[in-house]
Order: sequence, then C-alpha cells, then structure tokens
Amino acid sequence: MTVRWDLLLIPSFLFTFILLSVSQTLFLEGSFYKDLGLGRTGDTLDLVNYVRVFTDGFYLTTLWITVKVSALATICTLVFSFPVAYVIARMRSSWGMILLSGIVVSTFITIVIKVFGIIIIFSADGWLNQFLMSTGITTEPYSIIGTQEGVVIGLMYFTLGFGVLTLYSVVQTIPTSLEEAAEIHGASRPRMFRRVILPLAMPGLVAGGLMVFNMCMGAFTSAALLGGGKVFTLPVLIQRTIMMEVKYSMAGTLAAVLLVAVILINVLSIILIRRMHFARGVLA
Amino acid sequence: MSAREDGLIAADAVRATPDTRAVAAGKAMRWRSRQAVNFWLKWVMVVLAYVFLHAPLIVVIGASFNGGGEYAAIEFPPASPSIEWYFEIPMQQFEALGLSFALASLASLSAVIIGVPAALGLVRSNLPGKTLIGVVFRSPLQIPAVVSGIAFLQMYYLVGDATGFFAQGSFIGLAIGHIFIAIPYVVGTVVAVLQRFDHRLEEAALSLGASPWRTFRRVTLPVIMPGVYAGALYAFMVSFGDVPLSIFLTAPGYVTYPVELFSALENDFDPSILASGTLVILFCLVVMIVVQRVVGLDALLKIGGTGKGR
Repeated sequence: MTVRWDLLLIPSFLFTFILLSVSQTLFLEGSFYKDLGLGRTGDTLDLVNYVRVFTDGFYLTTLWITVKVSALATICTLVFSFPVAYVIARMRSSWGMILLSGIVVSTFITIVIKVFGIIIIFSADGWLNQFLMSTGITTEPYSIIGTQEGVVIGLMYFTLGFGVLTLYSVVQTIPTSLEEAAEIHGASRPRMFRRVILPLAMPGLVAGGLMVFNMCMGAFTSAALLGGGKVFTLPVLIQRTIMMEVKYSMAGTLAAVLLVAVILINVLSIILIRRMHFARGVLA
Repeated sequence: MSAREDGLIAADAVRATPDTRAVAAGKAMRWRSRQAVNFWLKWVMVVLAYVFLHAPLIVVIGASFNGGGEYAAIEFPPASPSIEWYFEIPMQQFEALGLSFALASLASLSAVIIGVPAALGLVRSNLPGKTLIGVVFRSPLQIPAVVSGIAFLQMYYLVGDATGFFAQGSFIGLAIGHIFIAIPYVVGTVVAVLQRFDHRLEEAALSLGASPWRTFRRVTLPVIMPGVYAGALYAFMVSFGDVPLSIFLTAPGYVTYPVELFSALENDFDPSILASGTLVILFCLVVMIVVQRVVGLDALLKIGGTGKGR
C-alpha cells in the first residue's frame, strides 16, 4: 500500500508534543527561581527551592507521608483486587460480566461523589457512629477524615477499580488447564495458588502494583478531601502552595520532585518487567 | 509443605490397602474442608470489595431523598423521605453540569479526531523513533494531573502576557487541558485494536479493486470502531470527573461540576448537591448501559482495561 501513515502522525504528534514540552519546560524553568512569595520570584537561576524541599522538615515529612500512604494503599488495593479479579475471571456464567460492570461503573463515577459518600458515612451523627457508640466500641464519634488511614482509604477508592480491571486481564492470561493439572496431582488450593497462579501472575502484579503506586503518588482529589487539611500529600501541598500561598516557583519545585519520582517509578517498572520476562524465559 | 507431601496423596490412592485407604480418606476430607474455607474466604473478599466500592454511592443516593425543609440534616437512611431537594438544585450547579458536559463531549470528540490518526500512524508507519513518539502520546497519563494543572496555568499566564489573551478561566483554556489528558485513552485503545488487525482483510479489499480510501472506510474503520468508542468513553469519563487539572484552570463563577462539588465539600454544602450528585450517578449508569448495548462491555474491557483515571 502506498499510504503514508507517518504523515498522518505529524499533526497529532505536534499538538501533543508542543503542549507537553512548552508547559513542562515553563514550570520546570520557573522552579529554579527563588520564591519570594505572593507570585514574586528572584531574577537568577538557582537551587534554593530544591535545597529547601530537601532540608525543610515540613517538606520532608510531606514526602515521607506521600510515599507511606501510597505504599499502604497499593498493598491494600492489590490484596483486595486480586481475589475479586480472580473470581470474576474464572466465572463461567454471565454473572462475571455483571460483576465487572459494577466495577466499571463505580470507577467511572467521579471520585468527589464517592468521597462525599464517605464523609456522610463517617459523619458524627451518622448511622455508623451511632452504631459504634451504642455498642460501646467507641465513646467519641470516630472519623477517618483528617487521618492518614482516611487518606489511604480515599486512595483505595481511586485505585481499586483499576486494580481489579488490570488484574482481571492478568488472570485471564493464565490457562485454567494449569490449575486443573495441579489439582489432579493433589495440590491443595492454597498450594496451587502459591506455586502456579502467583508465579504466573507476578509480572502482572508487579506492573499493576507500580501503576497503582504511581496513581496514588499523583492522586489529588481523594487525598485533599480525606486529608481534611491535616494530612498533606505532595499533590495536595502543590495545590495549596499555589491557591493559598501563591508561591508559583515553590509549587513548581514540588511538582518537579513529584514528576521525577513518578518517572523514576515508571522506568523502574519497565526494567523490572523486562527482567522478569527474561528470567521466565531462562527457566522455561 | 513439601513437594513430597503432594505426591504422597496421589501415591496413597495408587497403593491403597484397607489401612492406608482410611488415611487417604482423612486427608481428602481435610483437603476438602480447606477448599471450602478457601472458597468462602474468596467470596468474603469479593463481597467486601463490592460493599466498599458501592457503599458511598448508595449513601449519596439514599441521603438525597431525605426531606425535612430548611434545617434538613444529611441523613442516611433517610428519616423523612421526599424528593424536595431535586427541586432545590441551584442554577449554579446546573451551569456547572452543563459546562462539564460540554467540555467532556468536546474533549472526547477532539481526542478521537487527534488520537485515531495518531494510533494509525504509530502502528502502521515505520518511523525510526516510534517508541519515543509512543512515549510522548502516553505521557499525559503518566504525569500527575496536578503537575499538568500548574504547568498549563503557568503556560496560560505567559501566553497571556505575550498576546493579551489569558486562557485560564475560559472555555478554550479548559478545553485544551482536557483534550491533552483525553488523547492517550483514544490512542491506547485504538493501538490495541490495530495491533490485532488482520491485514488480509485490507489486502482482499484492495485486490478486489477498492481504492485505499474506500478500503479504509469500509474495512479498516468498522474493525477499529469498538476501540474508538471505548477510547471516547474513557476520555469522556475522565474529563467529566476531573478535579486536579480543572481546579487550576477554572475561575470563580465558571467551574466544572466536580470542582464545584469539591469546593462545596471543602467549605460548606446543603443537601441539594446530594440530589445533583445522584443525577450524575444515574447519568453514568445510563451511559454505561448504552455503551454496553452498542459496543459490548466485553470489547471495552479487552481493549482498555488498564486505562488510568485520576
């Protein structure tokens, strides 16, 4: 065929590339000017903002909390989404599709509405707290809003659906015949899970886990609302630095740190997955 | 547990004498009860996950039907059922919903117009830097939306300084940002379909005398259409629900629905936003049902199950 497919690529590529490169270079350049507050910046390029991010206790704590809640949310997401994905993928009836659409619908609905629901569930005079207090489990109304656990749960609302959908496609690549073979040879279900399913799903789990971790690191909405102005993760702090403190170059510095972290995780995941494929190839 | 032990259960069955048969039966029973525990554990996790995912939605829908006039509290389950809040939704929220709908429609349409040729080019051309070009097209997904938000805001400031047109807080400014984050979804889904495309279909059409354009329109396009629909749907939903990018690009009095809801939750709200939230949930449900009828959920999931939202 004499169609020049590469010509088709050019306009779309230019559109994305110009927006990407211009917007990213501008804020990255801005991040190297000293922030004087209220939108004013210094005139010379230097590393003052970066030095501050990595020496100031507040920023360091924020970095640590971001990594911590993201890691916790990733682990919880994987632990919950794998059984769900497995059950759905192994279902032979049309129920599998129905369950899956339930996941998709809840994933598509904006996270703000879900967080709203969580706020209602944990409201002081809400149904849950009345139950907890009447049974004497707690004496004070319990709320997850403004706690790190709350942020972890918020992040899970953001990632669980994607976790299930990703792992669903992973489980689908594992032939049932392998499980049957293990069972015929007398392996118990937990053993079959440990020795057959887990190793085969491992590359997918690692890839999915890193994807979820990446999403958590960059998650803004759920972290901001459930952090309740008490727990700050990096994206929340970036937004506040601009909206409340009007420090553009400081926010740019924090955004650059976040961006580099996310890119590093991506590169790491690509390397890890390549290695695993390589190892599997050698073993087989 | 060792590999030997597994083998033993099987071996027991082979050289079974009356004695060993009893042992084997005991083992089998324990094995079966472990199976049962495993079965229930799995289902408990599944039920928990579904309750976890859907409880907030059900609470929002339920609480929206709680009446009680001026001093109404937000309550679930509703104490005095009524639909009064559906008539109290302020104009502001409808305007925000309208803006979100217009933005999401434009973003998904533009993402299709820009993304489909990009996907065709990515899969079918043999440019040297194809992998790198693919990375550029995927990057809006990888960059945290907050980062894109401040990057676009600063870009709009600078463009405004140079030209006198400040795009932040305008429809065009929001639209450019939303198109930027929507493109990767369409590119991703269409690339996935094209990679499985059977080229013999096109060769057959061409050898039977169809022009390249006719071949594309009558053969290629129908085959990639499910991918286009799936990508457009993902793009629409991501744009329709976006907060982190829009929060930087909206202006007071000109906000998208998720941003309106976000600031309401950060500050102060009345039950009317429960009602509008319920309408949004129902809208998403209807969209999903229509998509399932038109393309089938199966195709949708196979193509783009790993899309990334915000």
